[in-house]
Amino acid sequence: MDFDAIVVGSGISGGWVAKELCERGLKTLVLERGRDVQHRVDYLDFAPPWELPHRGMVPETEKAQHYAIQSTSYAFNSASSQWFVRDSEHPYSTPMDRPFSWIRGYQLGGRSITWGRQTYRMSDFDFKANRLDGHGIDWPIRYEDIQPWYDRVERFAGISGSNEGLEQLPDGQFLPPLALNCVELAFKQKTEADHPTRRVTVARCAHLTEPTPEHIALGRGPCQLRNVCERGCGYGAYFSSLSATLPAARKTNKLTVITDAIVERLDYDHAKRRVSGVRTIDANTKQGRSYQARVVFVCASTVATAQILLASKSEYFPHGLANRSDALGRHLMDHVVGIGASGTHPGFLDRYYYGRRPTGFYVPRYINITENADVDFVRGFGFQGYSSRSSWQRGEHEAGVGAELKQRLREPGRWEMSLVGFGEMLPRADNRVTLDEKRRDQWGIPLVHIDCTHAENERRLAERASQDAVRMLIAAGFENVTPLGAIRPPGSSVHEMGTARMGRDPATSVLNGHNQAHDISNLFVTDGSCMTSTGTVNPSLTYMALSARAAHRAADLLASGEI
Amino acid sequence: MSHATDKSSATINRRSLLMGAVFMLGGAAALTRFVGKPSRGDELELIFSPEQFALLEQVVDVMIPRTDTPGALEAGVPAFMHQMLAEWASPNTRADIINVLEGVERRAWNKYGAAFRELPGERRLDVMRALDEEGLAREDLAYGKFKSLALVGYYHSEVGATQELRYELVPGAWRSCLPLSEVGRASAV
Repeated sequence: MDFDAIVVGSGISGGWVAKELCERGLKTLVLERGRDVQHRVDYLDFAPPWELPHRGMVPETEKAQHYAIQSTSYAFNSASSQWFVRDSEHPYSTPMDRPFSWIRGYQLGGRSITWGRQTYRMSDFDFKANRLDGHGIDWPIRYEDIQPWYDRVERFAGISGSNEGLEQLPDGQFLPPLALNCVELAFKQKTEADHPTRRVTVARCAHLTEPTPEHIALGRGPCQLRNVCERGCGYGAYFSSLSATLPAARKTNKLTVITDAIVERLDYDHAKRRVSGVRTIDANTKQGRSYQARVVFVCASTVATAQILLASKSEYFPHGLANRSDALGRHLMDHVVGIGASGTHPGFLDRYYYGRRPTGFYVPRYINITENADVDFVRGFGFQGYSSRSSWQRGEHEAGVGAELKQRLREPGRWEMSLVGFGEMLPRADNRVTLDEKRRDQWGIPLVHIDCTHAENERRLAERASQDAVRMLIAAGFENVTPLGAIRPPGSSVHEMGTARMGRDPATSVLNGHNQAHDISNLFVTDGSCMTSTGTVNPSLTYMALSARAAHRAADLLASGEI
Repeated sequence: MSHATDKSSATINRRSLLMGAVFMLGGAAALTRFVGKPSRGDELELIFSPEQFALLEQVVDVMIPRTDTPGALEAGVPAFMHQMLAEWASPNTRADIINVLEGVERRAWNKYGAAFRELPGERRLDVMRALDEEGLAREDLAYGKFKSLALVGYYHSEVGATQELRYELVPGAWRSCLPLSEVGRASAV
């Protein structure tokens, strides 16, 4: 046996599994399908605007031809495009009338380089929701099961935020918060006065405001308020696999990383009822090879994990590995986005701020928790908010040329505020990932076909979110208030989840309460595919906690000889 | 930053890039006063004729003049726009930008019976002001692209960001609520 453990994927989930397994003394191999990347060295974070390629703009034709989907991400620009796949080289299909935005980053660290860094705990409102309203199956865990793991990952990752004492948004182990600005504070006071059932709090986010000795020992430093995070941060001030988990894993001397290794399938040994190997194709040479280990973690991201397991068919698992339930690939979900509102404030013109805060504020879910009247849907939504003063960009839309224009743009413009809703999406079996056996990519791997749509509950919830956002902004004195638009295609929030869900019953779920396959004891899955419901909060912190928890479970089982 | 894109634009292989440039020169040549000898050498030279580049310089100088701070010319906006048209713009965007320049020249002739370059400063400003007001009122995409590129070229140049506005590569601190007078000018990013 070459390794104790193999981890497929080096993003947020895979990085956490690797760190925890290595620290438990297990010889661990991380397989990453993308290229190798050097922390700091490969980042463009020290380029001022005038030194960026095309001032940050990706050439129009290149964007249209190669990044049609990826460029819909707010984080996509000429200094970050290296962290996004070329859609032209990594095709997938959807029904013509049901688009799905699959945003991906194929490199060491995966999407942990470009993630939005928002980090909130799920609560028992989330873990009990399926059981209480009957949509989906019951989560096999409750908040108390995951709470110590949230503590653990928050301390290591470094999360800034403020404790609020809210049952629906459990408090945590926080570094000092990044304060609200004047207009956000006024919005908070007005909104909380109008609605004692609602709270406006600083965003909780994976930025080191005051690094601990543990962070500093990994070479991480405090946030410098540059707000160029999507390029990668040379200070290591935000959490990523490159800044945090992989360096910690390397320190143990137990870690091996192989990049450009595309996992084609997992082999299954029915006599032992175990995964017996992981087959890869070299992205460059297209050479195949196989790796063996005592335990395998698949953390390839929700859609890709489903793809790999569906492709790992055998006589004993004709519909995909560990797929006795037929749940594999199904119940694909993503937070509902494109909802909310924005406006401008006529006041506070003598106030400003210094520094570029890389985050904003948060309005935790209140619908169907503290406000239940007149609600014609289940679950709810939260808002991420942000306010700043406009700058010279407004000159593009305001008439004026010459010295007058220059003089006017020298001053900051009005305060603007956006409330960006993130709504829960219900699990439905028909929203699914399948393989298109007739079409293959350049490595001969069947293409993914994604068929996923929103339904009535998402539409009602979206409508209410935009209405509420409009009303809150108007009540707080904002003008020119407009809803953000229409629901964007699923995938757009880059919170895809659910294709290998956890559950109590092997007949309806793929994984048990420890992210272990019901049917195969040495197979674990800890990325977004394990999620039994979406909740309303950004999911990455939950992936971290579940990954750490599952890694320790696997280490315990290996130590006891059970797997 | 948000900038208009044209998803229907053609592919950017060398052939189409050249064809796009040649097409635009053809369009420009239709206006007799633009006739010049287009260089057939370097691809970059195909973007603007010398006359067009001179006009671009005059136009952005009116749009963002030198005042108590440097203007578009000192910030290198014409060269920036040339580079963006050569490397960044789709063929459609290139044609749009050239069309805006042609429109400036057309206005100068229609209103004052002379080329833009012949007009005194006040009249140049008058032409540009009318073009700007109408372009924004009509939500003219081509003019929007032109103005956007000129503004990016200026305010995200070193001169524009650090002398006209304020830019710190590494702010190092977050001060959430300050009197504007304490901070001074608008942040360039």
